[in-house]
Amino acid sequence: MTNDLVNQTRRHFFNDCRVGLGAMALGSMMSGEGLLSAESLDNATNPLAAKAPHYEPRAKNVIFLFMAGGPSQLELFDPKPKLQELEGELIPESYIENQRFAFLKKDAKLLGTRRKFAQHGKSGHTVSECLPHLASIADDVAIIRSMSTDVFNHGPAKFFMNTGFNRFGRPSMGAWVTYGIGSESNDLPGFVVLQSGPRGPRGGSPNWGSGFLPTTYQGVPFRGKGSPILNLDNPAGINGSRQGDFIQAVNDFNRLRLADTNDPEIATRIAAYEMAYRMQSSAPELMDLSDETQETVDLYGADPAKPSFANNCLLARRLVQRGTRFVQLYHTDWDHHGNPDTELKGTLDKVCKEIDQPAAALVKDLKRLGMLDDTLVIWGGEFGRTPQGEPRDFLGRDHHIEAFTMWLAGGGVKGGAAIGKTDDLGYYPVENRVHVHDLQATVLHLLGLDHLKLTYRFQGRDFRLTDIAGEVVHKLLA
Amino acid sequence: MLSHQRMPAMTQLSYLSTVLAFLMTCASLTGRAEEVDYIRDVKPIFAKHCAKCHNAAKQESGLRLDLGGGAIRGGDGGPVVVAKDVANSRLLKIVRGEDEDVERMPTEGDPLNSKEIATIEAWIAAGAKVPEDEMNLDITSDHWAFQTPTRATLPSVDKAETVRNAIDYFVLARLQTEGVGPSEEAVRPTLIRRLSLDLLGIPPTREQVDAFVNDARPDAYEQLVDQWLASPEYGERWGRHWLDLARYADSNGFTRDFGRQIWKYRDWVIAAVNAGMPFDQFTIEQFAGDMMPDSTLDQRIATGFHRNTLINEEGGTDQEQFRVDSVADRVETTGVAYLGLTLVCARCHEHKYDPISQREYYQIFAFLNNCDEPQMDAPWAWQVEQGIVARRDDIRGQIKEREEALAAQAEEFTKKQVEWEATIKPEFYRTLPGPTQAALGKKVEERDDAEKKLIVELYKTTEAAREAFPLVKEIADLKAIEPAIPTTMVLSEKKEPRETRIHKRGNFLNEGDRVIAQVPSVLHSLAAEADEATRLDFARWLVDAENALTPRVIVNRYWQRFFGRGIVETENDFGTQGSLPTHPKLLDWLAVEFVESGWNVKAIHRLIVTSATYRQASRHRSELAAIDPTNKLLARQSRVRLDAEIIRDSTLAASGLLTRKLGGPSVNPPQPEGIYLFTQDPKPWDTEQGEDRYRRGMYTYFWRSSPYPSLVVFDAPKSNVTCTRRARSNTPLQALTLANDIQFIEAARTLARDVLDRDDSSDASRVELMFRHCVARRPKESERLRLQELLAAQRKAYADDPDAAAALIGAEKPGAKDAELAAWTATARVLMNLDEFITRE
Repeated sequence: MTNDLVNQTRRHFFNDCRVGLGAMALGSMMSGEGLLSAESLDNATNPLAAKAPHYEPRAKNVIFLFMAGGPSQLELFDPKPKLQELEGELIPESYIENQRFAFLKKDAKLLGTRRKFAQHGKSGHTVSECLPHLASIADDVAIIRSMSTDVFNHGPAKFFMNTGFNRFGRPSMGAWVTYGIGSESNDLPGFVVLQSGPRGPRGGSPNWGSGFLPTTYQGVPFRGKGSPILNLDNPAGINGSRQGDFIQAVNDFNRLRLADTNDPEIATRIAAYEMAYRMQSSAPELMDLSDETQETVDLYGADPAKPSFANNCLLARRLVQRGTRFVQLYHTDWDHHGNPDTELKGTLDKVCKEIDQPAAALVKDLKRLGMLDDTLVIWGGEFGRTPQGEPRDFLGRDHHIEAFTMWLAGGGVKGGAAIGKTDDLGYYPVENRVHVHDLQATVLHLLGLDHLKLTYRFQGRDFRLTDIAGEVVHKLLA
Repeated sequence: MLSHQRMPAMTQLSYLSTVLAFLMTCASLTGRAEEVDYIRDVKPIFAKHCAKCHNAAKQESGLRLDLGGGAIRGGDGGPVVVAKDVANSRLLKIVRGEDEDVERMPTEGDPLNSKEIATIEAWIAAGAKVPEDEMNLDITSDHWAFQTPTRATLPSVDKAETVRNAIDYFVLARLQTEGVGPSEEAVRPTLIRRLSLDLLGIPPTREQVDAFVNDARPDAYEQLVDQWLASPEYGERWGRHWLDLARYADSNGFTRDFGRQIWKYRDWVIAAVNAGMPFDQFTIEQFAGDMMPDSTLDQRIATGFHRNTLINEEGGTDQEQFRVDSVADRVETTGVAYLGLTLVCARCHEHKYDPISQREYYQIFAFLNNCDEPQMDAPWAWQVEQGIVARRDDIRGQIKEREEALAAQAEEFTKKQVEWEATIKPEFYRTLPGPTQAALGKKVEERDDAEKKLIVELYKTTEAAREAFPLVKEIADLKAIEPAIPTTMVLSEKKEPRETRIHKRGNFLNEGDRVIAQVPSVLHSLAAEADEATRLDFARWLVDAENALTPRVIVNRYWQRFFGRGIVETENDFGTQGSLPTHPKLLDWLAVEFVESGWNVKAIHRLIVTSATYRQASRHRSELAAIDPTNKLLARQSRVRLDAEIIRDSTLAASGLLTRKLGGPSVNPPQPEGIYLFTQDPKPWDTEQGEDRYRRGMYTYFWRSSPYPSLVVFDAPKSNVTCTRRARSNTPLQALTLANDIQFIEAARTLARDVLDRDDSSDASRVELMFRHCVARRPKESERLRLQELLAAQRKAYADDPDAAAALIGAEKPGAKDAELAAWTATARVLMNLDEFITRE
């Protein structure tokens, strides 16, 4: 807080307030430039101000398409003729010594896929018939078939993917990123979460929580319908003009108290009220898809009247356009164990259809807008699924942590790259294993952040997203 | 004392070979035994081959060979060296690879050569003598926090006239060294508001402020302190602080996050704080109330402290993994909340910074690893008196009879159940919890007992079952009239002890040595009643007068609550990586005072709030900005944003809506719609309409996966792990909450109505009244004018827009006075959004 600012606010209060606050001041605030605009506040008062990374970044923004439940890599990305051949047989004992499963018994039989695979694009990426739209952007996408994680239950595994640790209470990737480099947006949150599918992701808010970081950095869930943020709408009986009176009056009093107490927290609060006011118009504007062309809406397969993954992909692009740093989309219903409504035929078809076109459209749209170079798109779930089938009434597989598939595009990623291979049964990686911590280190690296240096001291220890591990996957970089 | 495992009986064959070896050794060494010197000859051998794994930090198998005393003491498997008894000195067999249970040592690196083995043997044969200084195995540390605190004499100060009690001597002395003077005492309205928010968690009423401002008695302030320390809200305010540490919540956490009943524990905390229960007793009852002689219901309820851990009900989880995690959480909580030590660091490896070994971590773990975790009946006293508990028991008896009759028809029952299972539709299936789905996925005969029960109970809820078996309906009807008796989650000590082993790298599947409950050797020793120390011994040890850490950690946290930061800033880390105390002698003086007062919490609180240090003004002084930007010297008080619950409570109190009711089940005040869009399952939330709508924030039902939004937005802890200090963020979402959330609008409306009812003299007078309701002090002239200007503008706007006026005040149909009330509501809304309103100054 500079003395100038104090003087200015003091002058303002005593000169203007008695004669009635000028419409001019309010007018300037309504147009988005407050008396004390976000730009005029330094980092001490605006914790979300954009900050320089550790080194030259490849990507500025991240859109993480989180496929909650654990998509089957064996049906989508990683065909195994051997598995086909051995279908119905027991898995060799050597594979499952010391392995634990959520539901599966050791006598589960191997299960070949029913899906057809083909190679696509110049890169020759192998993708199954379930994802025809992804096949159309094959050369923009790097596929990692050797992902592995540590935990095999949904909640803990999601925490692990998001926070690098399998229990509640650590900051999520989006929180770390906004803590590290802030946000480019002055009137929208730096980290936004969108959700689609039949229910919320397991684990809930800790997946996008700020853990022990200040709550400023936590993900803000935007709702797909109605008001996107809680309490964003004015209360009944307060219109835009009354809300303007209100913000102005609150901040006038706060400025006076600032002058009296010299407490810089009050300056932050003044900025927070102004940002809140701007969000009240910018967030509904964001959610309103009517200014998108029909061609764009069709590209995504979106229906603006109905919340969907397609709408959320389009919203993610709009958020990034407006400076939001990290957008995470959750789409649930990938947990295909083989029960009547969670199986690898109809249910898998349905969920693939929900996500395939929009995810591919997002990459295409970013590319044609010249935004793909700056925006890292990540697709994947918390783990994959077992080569063994489950002995249930329908086709299904159990949770598998040793090997699964994710893809990335844009933001400094080498399009067309295929990273890692698994063994004949798709059980273990045999080449370039990429652990979750490695992926996290790589995401931070692309944003210009060194995962070893992005730390926060809590309970006597310097914590980081990658816990005590993680190595950047250089093969993934363009 | 540690009790050691017996040596395994030797087989005859190995016995023979040992004797043979012994005879041969005696022959070869006769006459040379005196020449072996431990330090010169033996210690280098141990250092070379053994001490890498058998040292103070890493006592593999409980054995140390870095000091001679360790060899004499032996390890988990018993003695390894018996003086002058080569045959019974197991160490020799082990290094030769002749031991039955242990492979040849060392497992890594070269084995000992015959000369080295002969040297050790000669040393044993000669009596295994070790110099005195090698016999002391205590781990010591000269780190300040491990030394017993002593009461320093009060330093002398120049300006003794500003001193009010001992605290001020220490603070002034430090200020004097830095050449800085203290701040003046805060003005009375600020002082009473500060005290009220700190002790009670609600702002003072206007009447209380007036009375205090006009109270000419020299001890007016002290009178107020005593009155409030005795008022029930004190227990709520300070109980809530403790609940942060206890990670209290009303649901199980993780993904399913089902509800739980443990509010009786919350009420126990409030009652104990209000009763002034000494802190040592407060601790012992929470850690081991169930193990106290003739334990009372309340003492067992108190053990809920360590039941506030999470429970994972996701399908397919390994329950042992999550049980182990919850015990680890108890260790971590204990370390942080009591000892100010990051014990968790030693879960997977030796502590990198503090003298705590991984073995010692699991020795503490062992204290807490021996519990069952039941849900216990905790009836109200009136339920016992009115025979309601007896009636419940009678009904349960009738249910039992019918269940037995039903069990006699088991075959028929299962047949019908299987028929019903075949009719389950996907829509219904989808609504079932994971474990139920998993059980349904199996054939009846493949289900384990728990799964069988799950499906049987599910089937019993169906119409099909009731039709087929009238007993099912009778049982359901009886259950419907069974009186509800509160239950609560408690600890109960297992009769058959659970074995505790080291988890290598923290992985519970990778078990290492067995350990026995014991406290870290760097800390004071534990006096156990029986051979094996128990959870009760551990509880007493935590609050033993010898404990150098607990009293310091506790008073430091009190200090933090009253000043915004602790004397030790890292309130959860008093180890070598923590920050040093700003006022070490003051901290120790308070710690000693606390223990000598009989762990009297109220006395310490009284001491702190009656100090001149506490009573200073909080204004930032420009001359201090450079030398003390974060107020470490305490040359002023701090401005501290209120805790989440207190913001809500203040709003309700200022408007007069607050319901003054202590305890009871948690409640569902109004919250914005759409909270559960992002959780796996929607939570039941039946918004309260009566007085429970306006209860204090601490009674709001806390769902871990989707906590009450206005609490979270103001940094209420998420209750997944212990919280020793709340974050104080300052965000736009907070602004939106205070500005637009329905509960805050209701409060503004009510305050407006109240002020209009109370005072009809003039706008100026009403504006002043409203201002004082919210921030205790009188407005300055400029502030009053600004409020009047706002009021006039709102009055005009709402007169022009009667619909908006009616909407703001929540009127069902428009009325003549709507615009007036709306204008005052808009004014009250501004005051309740001020930084000053949500800050303790």
